[in-house]
Amino acid sequence: MGAQGVLDQRLVHSQHRELKLPYMAKLTWARARSVATEGRPVRRSALGAPARWGGFFLILLAPIAFFLLVAVVPAAVGQGSSWFTLAPFIAALSGPTLQGLVDSLALSASTAILSLAIALLLAWLVQRTNLRARVTWNFLIWVVLLTPSFLVALGWERLLQPEGVLADLGWPVAGLSHIFFSPLGVVFVDTTKGVPFAFLAISAALGALGREYEDAARIHGGGRATAIRTVLPILAPAMWSALAIVFAETISDFGVASTIANTANFPVATMTLFNAVDNFPVNFPVAAAVGWLLVASIGLALFAQSRALRGRSYQVLSGRSRASSRLQLSRRGQTVGIAVMVLFFGLTLGVPAIAVASASLLKPTASAITLNSFTLNNYVALAHHPSTLGPIGLSTALALVATTLAVGLGLIVARILTRRRSGASARILDLLLLATVGLPGILLGAGYIFVYNLPALATVGLRLYGTLFLLDVAYLANTLPITARLLSGPMAQIQFGLHDAARVHGRSALGAWRSTVVPLLSRTLLWAWLFGFAGLLFELPISQLLYPPGQEPLSVAITAAFANFSYAPGTTLMVASVAYALAVVGLALLGFRLLAPKGWQRVGVAR
Amino acid sequence: MLATAAAVAVASAAVTSGIFAAAQSGSTRAVQVGQVPLIVYSAQGYDMNEVAAFQKATGIKTELLCDSTGPLLARIAAERNNPQWGLLWVDGNQPFAELDDEGALVRHYLPAANFNALGKSLLPSDHSYVPTGTTIAATLVYNSAKITNPPKTFEQLLQPQYNGLLGMNNPSVSGPTYPYVAGLMSYLGGVSKGEKFLTKLKANGLQIFDTNGNTLNALQTGQIDMATIQSSAILGVLATNPNYKIAFPKGVTLLPSDMAIDRHASKTVIAEAERFETYVLSKAGQHQMKIGDPHGDSNFWPVVQGGSPKAGVPSLSSIRYQAVNPYTWGPRESSINAWFTANIVS
Repeated sequence: MGAQGVLDQRLVHSQHRELKLPYMAKLTWARARSVATEGRPVRRSALGAPARWGGFFLILLAPIAFFLLVAVVPAAVGQGSSWFTLAPFIAALSGPTLQGLVDSLALSASTAILSLAIALLLAWLVQRTNLRARVTWNFLIWVVLLTPSFLVALGWERLLQPEGVLADLGWPVAGLSHIFFSPLGVVFVDTTKGVPFAFLAISAALGALGREYEDAARIHGGGRATAIRTVLPILAPAMWSALAIVFAETISDFGVASTIANTANFPVATMTLFNAVDNFPVNFPVAAAVGWLLVASIGLALFAQSRALRGRSYQVLSGRSRASSRLQLSRRGQTVGIAVMVLFFGLTLGVPAIAVASASLLKPTASAITLNSFTLNNYVALAHHPSTLGPIGLSTALALVATTLAVGLGLIVARILTRRRSGASARILDLLLLATVGLPGILLGAGYIFVYNLPALATVGLRLYGTLFLLDVAYLANTLPITARLLSGPMAQIQFGLHDAARVHGRSALGAWRSTVVPLLSRTLLWAWLFGFAGLLFELPISQLLYPPGQEPLSVAITAAFANFSYAPGTTLMVASVAYALAVVGLALLGFRLLAPKGWQRVGVAR
Repeated sequence: MLATAAAVAVASAAVTSGIFAAAQSGSTRAVQVGQVPLIVYSAQGYDMNEVAAFQKATGIKTELLCDSTGPLLARIAAERNNPQWGLLWVDGNQPFAELDDEGALVRHYLPAANFNALGKSLLPSDHSYVPTGTTIAATLVYNSAKITNPPKTFEQLLQPQYNGLLGMNNPSVSGPTYPYVAGLMSYLGGVSKGEKFLTKLKANGLQIFDTNGNTLNALQTGQIDMATIQSSAILGVLATNPNYKIAFPKGVTLLPSDMAIDRHASKTVIAEAERFETYVLSKAGQHQMKIGDPHGDSNFWPVVQGGSPKAGVPSLSSIRYQAVNPYTWGPRESSINAWFTANIVS
């Protein structure tokens, strides 16, 4: 079946160690561990599991549990006098709140499926064909991921409003506008935001999938359709991972919910939850009841995923996987492929770019958009105003620490999630993590206040609320789940035989991971880090609830500028921040290309 | 492996706390010898200027948590078990009335200030909060190139000549918009009459946008020709277009900026907060309010004697305004906003 694999050879060289892979690959995880134990006692800390669960309790479980508790026992955290009530659930399951929940479920499910379908097409074009400008398309996917959803929504509003950009060009927009400001428009914008999540969840798997499976199908007489039918099920973990992430991200999205969905009179759960918390008097119990219902719906999604994948192994990515060959597109194929890419990125990036340019480049005196009214003064002012640069520095430091921890811990969590015999504890962990993705940040932030502002903690001298430390821990809690989910798809496809072999040959536990798992996942780890970093740079609800006085994170500074009617400076700060985030992404990708060992870079890259 | 990971996590957390220790030193609430920092939760555009001037004048260390009204009130509600704020300074009487009903505010304290008649009229009987100035919750901004004869009353907005021309913010999203809706309903004779009026206004082409920014953008792009927005925001944007004019229909509602002190704060903090209130209402404090946010909140009407509004702010004596009872209209916010979202936003 083809020539001697070359990828494994590189990995072996990179480790400066000779491994007899065919033999080692036959070892099971359990056997490898017992062999290793015979050679040298494996040091196992009795505190391992309790420390792990203690950590998760403190950063995730306790804040979420406390918030959810408010729905039933509001008096526990001073949110009423009742020690047991179901009234918040009755309120949440009636009227507009119930409608919001139903809308959210339908919206998230359809967005997840549409996003996956589009992402499969894009990922196939980028990973499995010789489409031109693949590096550019890969980069642009990141740009889409980093663009705040409300900016996309704002862009479409500017484009389609009665005297907006299209109307100025003489296009009839009334019909289009009517369609856009409806649930269809909401699904459309959410899908453009969902595609990058799905793309990242499946592209590593699609690109890394060796060609042996396609070859096997073709050798046995199958056509191209049969080959696709053979390969697609192998991608099931990545596809389910993509569906789950998009579902949870959409159900917790606020940017589209508060703009287009609101204008379209399409109430979704995040908006009803926001209304319960943002209107005065603040109603945390009803918000908590909505939170319960969101957790339940995510639980259902996870149940579907686990039913679909149960009892099967999808471990196909290893050092032995042969690089897949790319389909050579004809000239027509290239044209169609590039047209697909231009259409997708034009819709997802071109439109918000128009909105941002028209808003931030306008002179304050401009009454109409003309070339003459564009100015760079806002950017010049920004560069000379230290108070606007402070928040960028602070948010960078916070995001740097939280994201690095999230990726490190996410790697471990992803391993726990994908271990075949992981048991009930992993399933609970999975639910907890995905629930955190699906719960709006405002809820996690409030949960942090409920727990870490308890008078009992103050009496023992533990004052964590109102410190940058707690804000960063909350950032970690916010990022860890999505990071672990992003990593778990590719992790499910790693054959741990290689890792076991390294252990047998005397590598420490950490060393074995560093030399086997990390190289195989290096590109995914980098992506996950960048995603976490960029997300935290713009994180708003948790920041608003937990930032210490006088130390505004970037998102709070931007919001404050808008709230004080400083629209042009606010937009300028936002654009400058997006550009800054993109520069970090660009530098990191360049650094990876220049500094990472060649073997790391070739894993999962088809030629 | 997992034990190692846990150890790494603990170590990293320690490193994190180390990294931020320096940054923290300036902001912890730890008791310092002879002084506890006053923590001000504020949504005012001029608050940074005010706090800096207050610190300079009194030497009292003051920390500012600056955000929109919604998140600040959510934070105060979440802190209910163990309040961390010392003084709250936001627009609108309603939240203060609610907090007062909960027993969260210091009562029966009046700062040493000479309130004018307007200021006295805005003081609650238990003195649980004090006004520092006032704006109008929403009045009319219109494009004079398109509208030459603006309506003089809210009722005239129903006339066919204004069909499709008016825009306003969504009270569920925009903080200062609920007091406008409440005021409008109060002016028209109650909730049901207000709902009927808004329904007719919608039938006459009322357009709803999320916040001031969106509504002003709609005005700028010609999607609408007039809008009801907070007076300070209108006065801030008048300079951007000579065609923009402001008008005050009969029965516009005042939106005071108020301050209140946390009843659960320590005696030291309460004393510091009282000095802050006195400073804000002094000549020096009022000056900071006037210069701190020239395109927004600085466009207010003073509530103390001898104060004059910023240049460009019209005299309040020519405006037929009203004030609403916050203890009546505050508790209705959720239900009225829910009705508005279901029936007017579309």
